[in-house]
Amino acid sequence: MDFLNLLARLATLDTEAPATAAPRRAALSRLGQVGTALLPALLAALPAPALAGTKETRTRLDVLKLALKLELLENEFYSRALGLTPGGPTNPAAFFVTTANRAAIQTIQSHEAQHVALFTRLITDAGSPLDAVPNFDFTGSKNGTQPALYPDVYTNLDTFLKVAQLLEDAGVRAYKGQVEFIQTDNYTLEAALRTHSTEARHAAHIRTMRRQRGANVKSWVSPADAPITTAGTVPDAVYSTESNTTQYIVRNSVITKVPFDSSLPINVGTPPLSAAAILAKVAEAFDEPVEAATAEALLQLFTY
Amino acid sequence: MSNIQHNGSDEAEFAKPLYTPIKRRSFFMYAGATAGATALLLSGCDDDDDNNPVGMVDVGSGDPGVLNYAYALEQLEAAFYTTLRTGTYYTGLAAGSAEKSALDDLYYHEVIHRELFKTALGSGAIKGLEVDFSNIDFNARTSASGSSKLGVLDAAKAFEDLGVAAYNGAGKYITSADYLTLAGKIVSVEARHAALIRDLISNGTFVGSDVIDGNALERSKEPSEVVATANAFLKDGSKLNVSNIK
Repeated sequence: MDFLNLLARLATLDTEAPATAAPRRAALSRLGQVGTALLPALLAALPAPALAGTKETRTRLDVLKLALKLELLENEFYSRALGLTPGGPTNPAAFFVTTANRAAIQTIQSHEAQHVALFTRLITDAGSPLDAVPNFDFTGSKNGTQPALYPDVYTNLDTFLKVAQLLEDAGVRAYKGQVEFIQTDNYTLEAALRTHSTEARHAAHIRTMRRQRGANVKSWVSPADAPITTAGTVPDAVYSTESNTTQYIVRNSVITKVPFDSSLPINVGTPPLSAAAILAKVAEAFDEPVEAATAEALLQLFTY
Repeated sequence: MSNIQHNGSDEAEFAKPLYTPIKRRSFFMYAGATAGATALLLSGCDDDDDNNPVGMVDVGSGDPGVLNYAYALEQLEAAFYTTLRTGTYYTGLAAGSAEKSALDDLYYHEVIHRELFKTALGSGAIKGLEVDFSNIDFNARTSASGSSKLGVLDAAKAFEDLGVAAYNGAGKYITSADYLTLAGKIVSVEARHAALIRDLISNGTFVGSDVIDGNALERSKEPSEVVATANAFLKDGSKLNVSNIK
């Protein structure tokens, strides 16, 4: 039996029972029934991290609740800075230095408030109660119970913008990690995708604001950015896998690494870039997802 | 285009059980489907297909159709940033200037996206498209008043905004979870591009009311709407037919 025939037979087995969407584990056990001799070879053909190891399984409600938590966090973060809710700068009017900075944050905050309203409605319309809204502490000290990571978040605009970048980049990555769990629900999927790209525009602008203030940062996540997190800390998980230069595609039914580092004609400018520089462009060209657990850990840092 | 609004049909939609786990598709189901779809694509390569108007490029159906659609849009964007490098607007930018390094990044990103889709599609890829940029003035930063031609940044804004709306609208047509996630990895970078280009034209316009609705959701466009715009930048014989994506 050749490889493709095996796959075709397995696919047939799966489609005979469409009611039970077979997860990978079930597929593997089914594979065992077909012929264990091929198992090692098949597993060896699955090097993609996305297809290896334990994956999250999440309901549509899980996805909506995570979205609402992220939007509540962002909305409160900006609302405090603008003086709309207590806990922000002593003089919110002066905090942003320029009217352009303040106007941009007002625009972003208004979007986050709309996202909060949207996801609140989607959850309640579905008949689910809402989770209690936590208390927020954007210094990262959890109300003084641990050392603050960002003690000057509302007294230093540059720190505020760093945290803003962290939250926006994290939001983009978190939505991206959730879309596969709402794939069969076109309505929720499209709402999530359309929120996702709005957040990406916010992230880009926050980065542009930081660059205008002298920070070494691009509008997209780049290995060339000056790091804003420290290895080993919770916030660092937002960036620790963003420098990935490896992407996988399925070709002739085999998971294949895209040969950005060898044969693909991507280094086509004049003069050509160094090998490291072209791979940095590859890293920039793809925003990576994070699993819900990573997003939850970041939420935990700023709530109590 | 779907609208996320509070109305009767939406309530019906959301009455569906929220607690049903949606598990990752089996790789084998996926791989089998891909093998089948590849065969379908190969059989659909005939340009005289009944569903395909003469002289148009049929992107096909199923996931390969969506991938070819994305490949076509990335070809268009990559060709734009490639051509841009020969115009006096770009060549006149100071080395190391913020605008030049941004346009350099965009050029590489779009070439990288294009080559990724070409690789994924293999022998099922549509041909290399011939572009028509006669309505773009590559020597002008933005449209001169009274000129019917788009300036470089105006055209970049149009392409990037279009790309984001296209990906947002195409997600629902992708059946492979891996390709949905891959599209997600690309669309947010396109949105970052769009935001920066808009800020270069006018600071603070990164997410104008022309690209989002009252729920702060970015626009999404159906493939048919997208190609109505994209085809204006493609030569006869390279114009796209997306009617089999559904």
